[in-house]
Amino acid sequence: MLLEEIARGDTVLEARGITKIFPGVIANDKIDFEIKAGEIHAILGENGAGKTTLMKILFGQYQPDGGEIYLGGRRVKFNSPLDAIDLGIGMVHQHRKLVSAHSVIENIVLGHPRAGKILNLKRAAQEIDELCEKYGFSLDLKAKIWQLSEGEKQVVEILKALYRGAAVLIMDEPTSALTPMETKKLLTSIETMSEHNLAIVPFITHKLPIVLRISDRVTVLRRGKVVACIDTEEATEKSLTRQLVGREIIFRIERDKVEPGKTIVQLEDLSALNDKGVQALNEISFSIREGEILGVAGVSGNGQRELVEVIAGLREATSGKVILDNRDITTTSCYERWQLGIGYIPADRIDVGSIGDFSLVDNTTMNYYFDDEYTDRGTLDYKRIRKLTNELMIDYGVAAPNSEVMAKNLSGGNLQKLILARVLSRKPRLIIADLPTQGLDIGASEFVRNKLNEAKQKKAGVLLISEDLDEILSLSDWVAPIYEGKIMSIIPGDEAKREEVGAMMAGISLKGVGK
Amino acid sequence: MLELYIRSLDASTIFLIASLGELFGQRSGVLNVGIEGVMLFGATLGFITAQSTGSYLLGFLVGITIGGLLGFLHGLFSITLGVDQVVSGMGIWILGFGLTTYIGSPFTGPLGLDRIPTIFGLSPFFYVGITLVVLIWFVLSRTSLGLRIRSVGENPSVAEVSGISVAKTRYLCVIGGGMLMGFAGAIYSLDYNPVWSYNFLMGWGFIALALVFFSMWNPFILLAGSILFGTLWQLSLNPQLLLPGVLSRYVWRMVPFGITIVALLLMSTKWFRTRWGAAKPEALGQPYLKE
Amino acid sequence: MKLGQAEIKLEKRATLNNWQAAGISIVAIIVALTLFGTIFILAGINPLAAYREIFSYAFFNPFGLPLTISRFIFLLLSTYAFIIPYRAGLWNIGMTGQLYAGSLAAYAVLFGFGVNDFNSTYPSAFIILPLMLVAAAVGGAGLGAIAGFLKGKYNINEIVVTVMLNFMTFWLVSFMIKEGGLFMNPGGRGESFELPSSLRAPLILDIPITIFIALAIGLLLYYMFSKTRIGYEIRAYGKNPAAAAYAGISKFRIPLLVFIMGGALAGLAGYHYFAAVPGVYKIARNYGFFGDLAYYGIICGLISRGNPLASIPVALLFGGLSIGGRFVQGKLGLSFGIDYALLGVLMITLVAFQFFYRYKIVFGNSMKEKIDAGALH
Repeated sequence: MLLEEIARGDTVLEARGITKIFPGVIANDKIDFEIKAGEIHAILGENGAGKTTLMKILFGQYQPDGGEIYLGGRRVKFNSPLDAIDLGIGMVHQHRKLVSAHSVIENIVLGHPRAGKILNLKRAAQEIDELCEKYGFSLDLKAKIWQLSEGEKQVVEILKALYRGAAVLIMDEPTSALTPMETKKLLTSIETMSEHNLAIVPFITHKLPIVLRISDRVTVLRRGKVVACIDTEEATEKSLTRQLVGREIIFRIERDKVEPGKTIVQLEDLSALNDKGVQALNEISFSIREGEILGVAGVSGNGQRELVEVIAGLREATSGKVILDNRDITTTSCYERWQLGIGYIPADRIDVGSIGDFSLVDNTTMNYYFDDEYTDRGTLDYKRIRKLTNELMIDYGVAAPNSEVMAKNLSGGNLQKLILARVLSRKPRLIIADLPTQGLDIGASEFVRNKLNEAKQKKAGVLLISEDLDEILSLSDWVAPIYEGKIMSIIPGDEAKREEVGAMMAGISLKGVGK
Repeated sequence: MLELYIRSLDASTIFLIASLGELFGQRSGVLNVGIEGVMLFGATLGFITAQSTGSYLLGFLVGITIGGLLGFLHGLFSITLGVDQVVSGMGIWILGFGLTTYIGSPFTGPLGLDRIPTIFGLSPFFYVGITLVVLIWFVLSRTSLGLRIRSVGENPSVAEVSGISVAKTRYLCVIGGGMLMGFAGAIYSLDYNPVWSYNFLMGWGFIALALVFFSMWNPFILLAGSILFGTLWQLSLNPQLLLPGVLSRYVWRMVPFGITIVALLLMSTKWFRTRWGAAKPEALGQPYLKE
Repeated sequence: MKLGQAEIKLEKRATLNNWQAAGISIVAIIVALTLFGTIFILAGINPLAAYREIFSYAFFNPFGLPLTISRFIFLLLSTYAFIIPYRAGLWNIGMTGQLYAGSLAAYAVLFGFGVNDFNSTYPSAFIILPLMLVAAAVGGAGLGAIAGFLKGKYNINEIVVTVMLNFMTFWLVSFMIKEGGLFMNPGGRGESFELPSSLRAPLILDIPITIFIALAIGLLLYYMFSKTRIGYEIRAYGKNPAAAAYAGISKFRIPLLVFIMGGALAGLAGYHYFAAVPGVYKIARNYGFFGDLAYYGIICGLISRGNPLASIPVALLFGGLSIGGRFVQGKLGLSFGIDYALLGVLMITLVAFQFFYRYKIVFGNSMKEKIDAGALH
């Protein structure tokens, strides 16, 4: 180990002039970065700023095209994550890198020679227990990963890194998918770890308050370059935003006031199972009127996916009713629901919302193949569909050479615009927008939110699912926090308070205003 | 009647060893639907070798080796080149079927060697099979290597960031699995039914493939399933032992295949499906290509 | 890989147009035939001479050409039986069983009219022939429907099911034509009764009229996949089932439908082989040899990448190769099964070439290109 003798305040990891080029893009352009033992040094950058690339280079997943990395003052080269792990770098992934069918302990010892050729799990458990005690974690080592909450899974990843003797801990979006409570706990753990001389590098996209709260220093990336490296004490939310985006952004979109009309959709005591056959929705009731946005706020995995799928007709309800325009559609097929005016924008753009190997025209066809205006006795009118696609691409600013390119070649933002365009062009009565801005940069997110507001003005009803509390609070006429398949309360948008909604997302029941 | 039991266990052994090979590969995430082709190759080349050299040992060695080579070929296609695992497996099957028909046809007829002696009345390979069950169970569930294999099969990207080479692990498993399939083929043509004829396997490999699905990737359930199907198969060949004169022998030959379909249907019921879904290696059938 | 100054690199293809795909397929076939040449070399035969024999017999010989065309029709129908489910992302390995089912159904029509009995009188060919065709299609479709239904309703692996059904129908044929089966030849030779000459499919220039059926189906399928709604639904389901379900395309209907269509075409292939090919006109005792040739359909389907028009030249080529192969096998004293060996070698080469549909080989200094592109950005 290079890092054993390092004392608090010594530089642990240093990267100089890191450059990485992909076809068409310079992802990292001469990036300098440095961190000391016991320091928390955040890296802040939007999607596409080169954050992920830098992270993968520091962890040995990518090899830089230029620049050097020093660990404890010595130059090192990582050919693979294995090299990085061996030299004391640990990674906590945003999308947890854990085998969900295996137990906690199996995940922690996986690939580590100390576990022995014939697994000695007893000894490993002892060692892990010691780590838990030192850093104040508690976990059931025999539990399977899929039984754990997001916060617990993150602890497993941290333990896995510590078990391997990490001196530098890289954390990708450490607070994403965590409830406010879990976030609080995490921040305490991070502080404990830094007291034990660990160097911690959180990579963060938007959550500026988190950066300000925990980090000692912050490096801001924009378009592959370092635009600032400042002590956190000297930074404000405003100054960081300016660095991050290059201009000032008003975060709050004004909620449009629209006089609500007739009830479009009404759920009555709706329950459903998830893919594993476990109850995921527990007697959900709410209604949405014309010109209203109802925002379901919650951490992923609390039944949101099942909720939208039941309304879209892709999942069976075990009990309860879905009523659309006074018609019971609980058992109606997904196909008919499209025709009845439900427009569904799925969370998974790549695997559900589009067909990567199809052209943009054929992707538009996904919502038009059944439309009499675009078909003639079973034959598709491709001329009209092509024209429609081209119009939609212009209206929504989908950047692509032409409408014949494959959807898989579009960026996330452009793909989302295409899906949005396709769904909204059907002028649906009810729009289901599941995580519509997830993974988009600030500009594209603004665009999507404006489009939802526009649809609302045109008397559509919108069911918005989001993990981003700011998004929910700024757009929704009604806020419905969801926890473990239950709607905790339904609060008018004007009266919803951040802390209150956050607490309900974590399952803490407060008295809200019913609807 | 005793004779029937013994023959049944002999047949079970072939199902068992071939499907253990398949199970081993599948636990690392690689599906090989070409199992019938690998068995045909192992059986044909093993037969030809033994016939020409007079040595059973050489025959088995050749059968195992060709199995390993075909496993390697499947790995080359599906691991390194990223070809769809089903396409590659189909290729192996049709290659096996086509080429062995040509290579084997000059050797059509019975093997001119003394039969392999039995141990306590059973084929020695039965004991080999039981040992393999225990061995593979132990490796998969109790060793560090087994944990790696299972992790690669569940979630290769996790394995990769844990410092495990997904490609190496998968190669190990498909080659090892292929050797077992080739071995099973050689047992068929050298011990169980030492006669070469056109496309003689007639579905053994595909039933072995189905057995792995039924086993929920557990070697012990696989053993039970193999014995069940081995018995069934033997009965379908000799229905007169149990029900003389009832139905044509051709109808009996259809039974094991029909039961396989019924079993698949049972497996698709909700009760099985939740358990099956939990046992199934998550990444089964998916190529893993590093960025 | 570096060779001197130049660098050879594999790059992922962003797109693949039809002409590029055709180019790769042609290279694949050439490579396969080259590889296959080693089999001739091993047998002590000059491969070039062997290929000359194969091609001249298959395509230029008055005896060989009609055989080639009959084989071509069979392969083309088998290919379509494979292609339709393939476009829906499903594997129909059951062409063999479906063609047996189709031929049994066609013979059932004959049996129903008492054709197997020398003394009976039966309606004219104008009634019986269409009925036989319909029965063959329905028989094949019925068997296909089992696999499609089980896939659509219970998500049961269609490969295993179709293979199991292959073996079941294989034994069913034996049951029907051997050891006292209903369709057994009165002579008791372990094969079916023969078609009287009046009920054989009409020939035009020695070519069965089934060729028109096969070619017309090819055109229809092409139109279906490229222009129609149902074709779109099948393609969408094939490329991304989750997205298709999201768009409202039925997870149940599509698998069922493609297997019914595929099975029907395989059934017609069965009719063709056992009731339309000159010189056969019965379900022969070694029907297994014919049935297994349907696996050529998998290769044709893969090489033509599911394109029904591209399948036509491919099926013609493979039809010729298998007929010519069988001819040189006899003429040059090779052992049995040269056409099966060819099947195997073609298949495995094709599998290897799947890689090139996704990657291309790039020459030149790629690092420099990267930086140039980056500067433009």
